[in-house]
Amino acid sequence: DEAMHPLTILAVGLYGETLPNQNGAPLRLVVPWKYGFKGIKSIVRISLVEHEPPTSWNKQAPHEYGFYANVNPAVDHPRWSQATERRIGESGIFVKRRPTLLFNGYAEQVASLYAGMDLKKFY
Amino acid sequence: MTLDARSISAVLQRVPVWLVYAVGFVPAVLYFYLGVMDRLGADPLNVLERALGEWALRFLILGLTITPLRQVFGINLLRYRRAVGLLAFYYAGLHLLTYVVLDQGLDWAAIWKDILKRPYITIGMLSFLLLVPLAATSNNASIRRLGSEAWGRLHKLVYVAAAGAAVHYVLLVKSWPKEPLIYAAIVAGLLGYRLFRKLSRQPRVQAARA
Repeated sequence: DEAMHPLTILAVGLYGETLPNQNGAPLRLVVPWKYGFKGIKSIVRISLVEHEPPTSWNKQAPHEYGFYANVNPAVDHPRWSQATERRIGESGIFVKRRPTLLFNGYAEQVASLYAGMDLKKFY
Repeated sequence: MTLDARSISAVLQRVPVWLVYAVGFVPAVLYFYLGVMDRLGADPLNVLERALGEWALRFLILGLTITPLRQVFGINLLRYRRAVGLLAFYYAGLHLLTYVVLDQGLDWAAIWKDILKRPYITIGMLSFLLLVPLAATSNNASIRRLGSEAWGRLHKLVYVAAAGAAVHYVLLVKSWPKEPLIYAAIVAGLLGYRLFRKLSRQPRVQAARA
């Protein structure tokens, strides 16, 4: 259901141009309510599998990189809090922290996908 | 003119102490200016925070080099040690202020949570706290009031603060890049020098007489 959601995007372009190499040309995944490492770049193969597959970041550090990786201010990373964020590119050194929004602000659209799931367990 | 420790010291000691402070503050002023002009790159707050911390560590190291320089090479820069030490404290204070005010926006709950949750911040805070009494007693009145022996013992706390600062830097970077490790090695060397001197001064055990 995550893959079929209208907010899940297989991107081929960016700002009206063809996707550049550093952004994951020719085809990349954009899932705006998850942490960025889930947005895989330069996709070479898509497999439909029955059971949850091992994923590269989860293999590297299972306590830090979950499978779902939904943006969630209530669930801390083991080494730091994820309750606030700082936007890069605004206000120079006077940039203020903002509270992180559940599901990166897309709670209204995607929260139903995770109804009843313990997001601390399925991080 | 001969080129020996005494003549080198004589030349260097012509530099007035106020000049050390003036030059010492240049990095802070420069980085803050660049920050305000938004010329510190994509993540300027991080760059400013790091730079201030690095300079604090550098001045701590510089301060720890003064005595070995005198003991090993005879070059006496003792009159600058107070300025260097205070510069380290001021940079550490600016670094802390940047974190508390600009980075965390005076969010005390978040700061306290960070101190408890993230060991490198715990260590950083403790190291700064250690520097506070040292900075407060960095004046002649304190040496007179405490007596030079007690003052000297108090100021040995800088060894702990420097070690803490080096560990803080190593832990905060999320992998093992060489810069923090180089700083840590230098601090370890400067502290090791003192330990070596202390141990080699202990009276040798007399061989048992037959």
